[in-house]
Amino acid sequence: MILLILLIITAYLINLVLPWWGIAITGFVLGFQMKPSSGKAFGIGFLALFLFWSGQALYIHLANDGILSTRIAEMLGVGSPILVILITGIVGGLVSGLAVLSGGLVKDSLNKESKN
Amino acid sequence: MKVFRLALPLILLMGLIYTFNRQISIQIGGETITLPPIGKFVDPESGFWANAEIELSESNELSLEGFKGNASVYFDERRVPHIFAENEYDLYFAQGYVVARDRLFQMELQTLDASGRLAEKIGERALSRDKTTRRRGMPYGAEKALEMMKQDAKTWEIVNAYADGVNAYISSLEPKNYPLEYKILDFEPEEWTPIKTAHLLKNMTRTLAGGNNDDRTSNTMEYFGADFIEKFFEAKPELNDPIIPPSKEWDFERIPVEAPDTLFKPASAVELGEYERPEGVGSNNWAVSGSKTKSGYPILANDPHLSLTLPSIWYEVQLRAPGINSYGVTLQGTPGIVIGFNENIAWGVTNVGSDVMDWYEIKFKDETQKEYWHDGKWKPTTMRIEEIKVKDGETVLDTVIYTHHGPVTKVESNINEEQKPVYHALRWMAHEASNDIRAFYGLNRSENYDDYVEALSHYVAPAQNFVFASNKGDIALWVNGKLPNKWEYQGRTVSDGTDPLYDWQGWIPFEHNPHVKNPERGFVSSANQESAAPDYPYYLDDDFAPFERGRRINDKLATMQDITAKDMQEMQMDSYSYYAETLLPSLLEWMDRDSLSETDSEILQLMKEWDYFMDGDEIAPSFFRHWSGNFYRAVFYDEYETTEATLRYPSRDRFVEIIKAEPNFKFIDDIDTDKVETRSDIVTASFYETVAELENYLGEFGDKWKWGYFIDNDIDHLASIPGLGRQNLFSSGSSEAINATRGGFGPSWRMVVELGPEVKGYGLYPGGASGNPGSPNYDFMVEPWRMGQLFELNFMKEEPKEYLYKLELK
Repeated sequence: MILLILLIITAYLINLVLPWWGIAITGFVLGFQMKPSSGKAFGIGFLALFLFWSGQALYIHLANDGILSTRIAEMLGVGSPILVILITGIVGGLVSGLAVLSGGLVKDSLNKESKN
Repeated sequence: MKVFRLALPLILLMGLIYTFNRQISIQIGGETITLPPIGKFVDPESGFWANAEIELSESNELSLEGFKGNASVYFDERRVPHIFAENEYDLYFAQGYVVARDRLFQMELQTLDASGRLAEKIGERALSRDKTTRRRGMPYGAEKALEMMKQDAKTWEIVNAYADGVNAYISSLEPKNYPLEYKILDFEPEEWTPIKTAHLLKNMTRTLAGGNNDDRTSNTMEYFGADFIEKFFEAKPELNDPIIPPSKEWDFERIPVEAPDTLFKPASAVELGEYERPEGVGSNNWAVSGSKTKSGYPILANDPHLSLTLPSIWYEVQLRAPGINSYGVTLQGTPGIVIGFNENIAWGVTNVGSDVMDWYEIKFKDETQKEYWHDGKWKPTTMRIEEIKVKDGETVLDTVIYTHHGPVTKVESNINEEQKPVYHALRWMAHEASNDIRAFYGLNRSENYDDYVEALSHYVAPAQNFVFASNKGDIALWVNGKLPNKWEYQGRTVSDGTDPLYDWQGWIPFEHNPHVKNPERGFVSSANQESAAPDYPYYLDDDFAPFERGRRINDKLATMQDITAKDMQEMQMDSYSYYAETLLPSLLEWMDRDSLSETDSEILQLMKEWDYFMDGDEIAPSFFRHWSGNFYRAVFYDEYETTEATLRYPSRDRFVEIIKAEPNFKFIDDIDTDKVETRSDIVTASFYETVAELENYLGEFGDKWKWGYFIDNDIDHLASIPGLGRQNLFSSGSSEAINATRGGFGPSWRMVVELGPEVKGYGLYPGGASGNPGSPNYDFMVEPWRMGQLFELNFMKEEPKEYLYKLELK
C-alpha cells in the first residue's frame, strides 16, 4: 500500500522536472528500495501509475467535456474516448510495472551477490 | 539463468521506453499510418492531455523580453483579438504575438510547405512534395520578395515587428504547451524569421495562381484540332457577363507586343499533374451603391472560396493605433489585414485567374544542360542546389537548372516517337519580386477611392479583383496585380523556349488594368468570370470561371432595390443553379420514356418540378449533378480515351450551349459501338446509369439521396490529421451557385459591410479563433456557417469596458 502511494507521489514530483519516462526512474528506485516480490512488484507498479495516469486523464476528459479525447480517439482509430483514457493508464502502468520489477530484481541479485 | 532473469525486465523496460518515445509507422491495408510517440503523447502532464482546455484564459499582464513597448489586446466573446497600440511597431508586434498564440502550428506548417521543408520535420513521406515545391521555384521567389521588402523601410519595420511578436510567444513555450499537432507529428516550433512572411505570400500565389493548362491545351489542339479549341475555349458563352461591364469604355491604346507568325507546336508530353487548376478556388464579391440601398450608403459583400480547413486559413483581428483602425481577416504569417474595412471604406477580393504560369520547351545543347538556345544563340544556365533535409533520414540534394525563363522540369513523354524526355522551363508570377504587404498596409488606412487606388498600385500577385466601397458613396472594382502584356492566347499552350517572341515582353501598365468606378447600373461584382468584355485591349487568359455565378449575382443585383445587409447575407447563401436551368429542360426533352419503372417515373417527375435550387434538403440536385456528369462523360470520354496524352476538357457552360445547338455534334456518338448514337440515346443511357449508381452508393431512392448528404462537405484538418476536422456537413450550395460550397471547398469567410457614419460589419468563417482542437472555440462557427448565419463584428472605436479577457503586453 505504502509502495502504491509512494509510487504515485514520486511520479508526480519527478514529472515536474523530467519528461514522461521519469516515472521509470522513480519506479526503479522504489522497487530497489522496497524490494517487493516479483509478482507484487509488477502488479503494484502497474496499478499505481494506471490509477494515477488514467485518473488525471479522466479528470481532464470530464473538465474538457470530452472535446479533445473524442478527437484523439478518432485519430487513433479507437472509437471511444474511454479507450483513450484506458490506453493512457496502460502505458503508464506498463512502464511503471516493469520499472518496479526491474528495481526489485536488481536489488535481489545484488543481495545474493553479497551473500556469496 | 539468474542474469537472464535480471536482465530481461530491464531490457524490456528500456525497449518499452524507447518504443514509446518514438513515432511508429504501421501498415494497415496498404496504407502507412504514423503514430505519435505514445508515451510522450499520453502523458497527462505534458502530452496531448495538456492541450485540453479546461478553463478560460484570464486577464493577464505579460512582461515580454526585449519588448519595450505597450499594447492592450481585448478578446471579445468569440475570442477575436482587438489590438490597441500607440505606435506601429507595438501594433504589429502584438499582432504577431496574438496570431502565434492561437495559430502557431498553422503558421509553421504553411511556411514549411511553402519552402519545401516538410520532410525536415515530418519525414520522408513529404519528400516528393518538397521536391516539387523547390523545383517550382517557391523558395527562389520568396528570396526575391524578401529583397524587395527590405528596400521599403516601412514594410521592413512591420515585418520585423511581427516576427518579434511571434518569437516572443515561441520563446515563452515549454514542451507541454506546444500546440497539439507538434506533439502528434513529433517536432518542435522553430524561430520565426521575416523570410517566412515572404514564403506565406508566395504560398497564396501557388494556391490562387499556381495552375495552368498549357500541356493539355497543346495536346488537345494537336489531337482534336484548332477548330475544337476555338469552339470550346475561345468562343465565350452567350450568357457570360464580364466583371467590368461592357459599357465601360477604354480611353487608352494598348502597348503592342509582337506575336509569332505561326504557333509553336511542342513535343507532346504528359501533363505535369500537380499544376492543374481545380475549379472551386474562386470567390464572389460585390458592392452596391447608395442609390440601391435602404440606408443610402453603399454595402459591400465578399466571400472568398478556398479549400475549407480547420483551423481556418483566416483569422479575425482588429488593429487600432494612431492612423489605423481596421477590422478584418488576416493570413497567418503576414502583418496587416487582407480583407476588411475601417472607419471609411471596405474592400474585398476574388481571384482573377489570369494566365501567369507558362511552360517553355527548352533546347539544351547537350546532356550537361549547361547551355540552352534562345534568341539565336547559346546561353548559359545556372544551377541551384536545393538541399532537402529529411527527418530520420539522409539529406537529399536536388539540382535545379535555371534558364532566364525560370526553373526547368524534366517531363517524361509517352507519346513522342523517339521517347526522348522533354524539358520545360517555368515562367511564373511567383518568381517576381513583390511587396504585397505594402498594398494591404495602404488599404487598411485608406480613407477614399484615391487612397485605395494608390494602395493597389503596389500589389503584384496573385492578381485579385479588388472590390471597394466608401462612406463618400463611391463603389469600384479593379482587376489588379502585375499582369504580363501578352499577344492573344500567348502562353495557353506550351511555348517555344528558343524564340523571344514567346517571352513575356512587358507588363500591362497599372492604369491599364481593367477597372470601373461608380458604373451607371449602381453595382460592381466579380465571381472569377471574364475580367472584361472582348473590347478590352489586352489579353489576360482564355480560361475563366463559367458564367453562372457572375450572371446570377448581376441578375439579382440589377433588380434589387432598398437593399439591406440582410439581403446581402441571404444572397451569399443563394444556391440557384444556372447550369440546371440551362441544361435540365433539354435532358428531360431528350429522355426516352418508353421503358420507365415506377421509381424512374417518380424521379423524372421530381426533376420536372424542381426549381433549380441546390438545396441540401432536396433530392433533385443530387440526381441532376450526377446525371449531367454522366451525360458529359458519355459524350467525351470515348474519344478522349483514344490517346494517352492528357487533354483539356470543355467547361460545362460552353458544353451546354454546343450540345443544345448541335444535335449532330460528332462527339455525341459513342465510337465504341457500331450504332451512331443520338442525344436521346446518350441521355437515356446516362439516366439509367445514374439511377443504378445512386442506388448503389446511397441506397434506395428516398431521403438518403438528399443533396445535403451527396454534396460531401467536409472540413479537414490543415494537415489532414484524422479526428481533427469536421466531416459530413449537411450543406446546400454548389460550385456554380453563389453559395459555392462543394466537397472540401466553399466560402472560407463571409463578410457584409454597411458603410455609413457608423460602419457596420457582419461575418464569420467555418472554424474559430483558437487553433487548439482541445478548445470548444476551435470549430464553434462551423454550424452557424452551415446555416448561413453571420455575426455582428465588434468594431470598437475605443478601448472597451466589457470583454472576455485582456492581455496587456509590456
